[in-house]
Amino acid sequence: MRKLFAPLLVAAAVVAASSVAPLFSSAKADTGSTPAPASGMVPTERALQGTQSTVNPAQDGVEIDERALQIYTHVYGPVDQSKPLDFAGQPAAVPHTYVAGKLYNVQVLKGYTYATLLGQMGYYTQALGVSCTYCHNVSNYAYDTPTKKIARTMQIMSNGVTRDWVDPVKRDYPNYAVTGVVGCATCHRGAVHMDVKWNIVPVQYLDYNNKSTKQAGYAVNSMYSAAKSLGVNCLFCHNSADFITLQYYPTNKIAHRMWAMVDDINHKYLPANIKAVTCYTCHQGAKWPAVLVQAGLDQTPVQAVAAHPEVHENPGAHLESGVAR
Amino acid sequence: MLSFEGVYRKRGGTFLADFLGDDPLDFWVGRFYVGLFGVISVGAAVLGTLIIILSIALIGDGDLVRVTIGAPLRQYGLGFAPFLQGGNWEWIVIFATVAFVAWALREVEICRKLNMGYHVPIMFSFAISAFVVLQIIRPLLLGCWCEGFDIGFTGHLTWVSNTGFRYMNFYLNPFHAYGILGFFLTAMVLAMHGSAILGTYNTNADPNVETANVDNFWRDYVGYSIGELGIHVLGFWLAIYTLIMSDLCILTSGPFVQDWVDFWHFHIPWFH
Amino acid sequence: MATVIARTTLPPIELPAPSPLDDGDLLGIRIGTPIRIPLLAKLGLSTQTGVIWLGTWGVLSTFFFVAGVGVLALAAFQQMNGNLLLAIKYFANIQIAPPEGLGLAPSLQEGGYWQINLTFWALSVLCWAGRCYERLTRYQWRPFLLFAWLAAILLTSTIWVFRPLAMGSWAEAPALGLNSDLDWAQNFSVLWGNLYYDPWHMLAIFFLFGSTMLWGMHGATILATASEGSHMEDAEIKDMHSGSHKSMLFWRWTMGFNANPKTIHDWLWWFSVGTVLSSALGIITTGTVVKDWYVWGVDHGWVSQYGEITRSAINQSSQKPLVGLNRPEEPGVTTPQGGF
Repeated sequence: MRKLFAPLLVAAAVVAASSVAPLFSSAKADTGSTPAPASGMVPTERALQGTQSTVNPAQDGVEIDERALQIYTHVYGPVDQSKPLDFAGQPAAVPHTYVAGKLYNVQVLKGYTYATLLGQMGYYTQALGVSCTYCHNVSNYAYDTPTKKIARTMQIMSNGVTRDWVDPVKRDYPNYAVTGVVGCATCHRGAVHMDVKWNIVPVQYLDYNNKSTKQAGYAVNSMYSAAKSLGVNCLFCHNSADFITLQYYPTNKIAHRMWAMVDDINHKYLPANIKAVTCYTCHQGAKWPAVLVQAGLDQTPVQAVAAHPEVHENPGAHLESGVAR
Repeated sequence: MLSFEGVYRKRGGTFLADFLGDDPLDFWVGRFYVGLFGVISVGAAVLGTLIIILSIALIGDGDLVRVTIGAPLRQYGLGFAPFLQGGNWEWIVIFATVAFVAWALREVEICRKLNMGYHVPIMFSFAISAFVVLQIIRPLLLGCWCEGFDIGFTGHLTWVSNTGFRYMNFYLNPFHAYGILGFFLTAMVLAMHGSAILGTYNTNADPNVETANVDNFWRDYVGYSIGELGIHVLGFWLAIYTLIMSDLCILTSGPFVQDWVDFWHFHIPWFH
Repeated sequence: MATVIARTTLPPIELPAPSPLDDGDLLGIRIGTPIRIPLLAKLGLSTQTGVIWLGTWGVLSTFFFVAGVGVLALAAFQQMNGNLLLAIKYFANIQIAPPEGLGLAPSLQEGGYWQINLTFWALSVLCWAGRCYERLTRYQWRPFLLFAWLAAILLTSTIWVFRPLAMGSWAEAPALGLNSDLDWAQNFSVLWGNLYYDPWHMLAIFFLFGSTMLWGMHGATILATASEGSHMEDAEIKDMHSGSHKSMLFWRWTMGFNANPKTIHDWLWWFSVGTVLSSALGIITTGTVVKDWYVWGVDHGWVSQYGEITRSAINQSSQKPLVGLNRPEEPGVTTPQGGF
């Protein structure tokens, strides 16, 4: 029997070699996971994007949005004031001769008086750190420019986000939400371009049912991104005794909504496949975005829960699945 | 007494004997040695246990696995909290520390009686250091007794879990990783040593041949045999290494590092 | 250290006598020359390193292990696009992930490398078990070491094979990589209701910490009495001398209980093997029998369902009441542009 060891070893070596041989073939599997380098980034670093081997483990499995990065490095303004005006593609409301003090081509800020509108324009310049020439052609303020169109979308977005997401949180969790509105400064903070940082997975990932450990792990890694965006640790929203079942901290519920909000913003107001908005965009390291002003909060979430003994009687009553309301 | 014990049971050489000449506490109760530190240790342990029993009775939860005596809340800082809001915890920690230290000193006395090296109390001191670091030194560094772990079977597990997640991902604490390495190495080396002795004892061979047998086996198997003394040296120092790493892992968490994931986002000049 | 090792001359190099059993294996040769390291004598360790026994099982095991490492290196380089510097810089973050579902991976990058590597390493540890068995029988030892090794294999098989099979997906197993393994441990506990409440996990920790404690006790005891020869344990088991007497009496007087030079090794062996066996039980019951250990604990009365207001949750959370506007709670946690 022992004399068979040598032939067995040779056989094993042949089998092993034949199974290993495909690795040395020149055909490489193309999974599309190594995208072409975008401008402005080190090519070798770009090789990591979109794979699971990123520097920040929290970003593993989360696609880095190429176009988002391109947009934020691509400059739209300021408007080139020396270019002659071409009214061919412009809306009919734009006059060929602009008269100061009158309102033309107002599509979003309807119902504003001239003075109020100018005040809003002043807010835009402060919030974005730009001057009028960034969006306007100063020989004809009513003239449409690419930056003006983006600004309209942004204004609709900030109104919509306030109405659809921030106000309901204020209403449902009066001890936690701040009063105030989402404005340009909430995200822009005095600069036109901002960091795309601390990406999070889409909100569907928060539903852990029937997911493998690997898939659900993407969501867990995202939690770190969310925590760093708010400058908190895991225990701000969770009781680590059970992350999945004990999801009734108010901060946890608000976070669910905020997560759905981020998805909503990314889908509704940004071009397709650009997931440029993350928790960090507004929060920028603070629990409440600094520019949502005015309210004080006097209770920690744990104290709030302690003040409601009925929660203890039936913890399951407050259970929600990972999908936001 | 064991058959050979009479020769070794000698009075004298204890701590109190240096002061009083004749130590009145230098006697045995059955198989247990008493001594001054035995009295202190058992006394402190009994007092601490009484406080635990009293607290459990006052808390009113009859399930011993579930009941937890919590550390004081943050608002009390380093002072004394009311008894049921953490004062009981503070007393228990005091009595436990006194009991452990006295136990170690009692071991020293026993070593002196038996004319042995002090390795065992030294090792036990490292074990005590883990408790002291967790319950006393780190709360002192962080400024409140609230940082100690709750006393309770599942309660202290909840504390460990919460502490880990407070620092985001405790697995990325390098001292924690070194400590785990120490624990796993200890388990592996332990299995190897136990297997070696249990595999070869009482085999009717000449003991010298048995030893060579063990040496030859390990040299064949892994290329090195550490020797019958050496394996105990290795075990001793592995255990100490593990305890030192454990102490460091919890001491750095809080006073120096608040986020172990972020800890690794440092930049080495030129390499980035 | 004990005085018994203070020698002026080092012992001679020892080589085992050849026996008929060694000649049957075509690869049954000892290779290398023994290297002596005198420094080790100062530490109380044996000074001779080598020779090592080859054996067919050992050669096979090493071959499979190296092949697995080669597959890992290949996969890592492919991920780094062949850049060695990057591979070193991101070494901890490189991961080779398993495929979803059971069955063969769809491609090399999507789980193929993972499967190939683990197949090699599974064969490697099994061949090592064969080597263990072969050497144990040659030296006529009782098979404790083999059972300990098989228990360790059982644990790793549970993590990488049995539980994924039971759960229906290779993606239940950890990826291969430093940070990804650590993340797996974290994610696993998060997803299944916090493994601290798993009683097998508790038992495994008890055995693991107990192993270290027992090692500390046993190592310290032997070192403390080594000058009287207690470290020569096979001899002491046959016939105890003063070293063993003192070891036993120390513990008898301290805690009222003592083992003897043989039974202490029973304790050691069972604690270390108990660690891996309990861990394996804890892993295999998670997600299959019990889906949420916290809920299981509450149902069985282990765990307070008021866990959310235990002191530690209150004390540890980064929540602090914020009164007024944008007060920074910790240094560094302010808005970059200082708010608007």
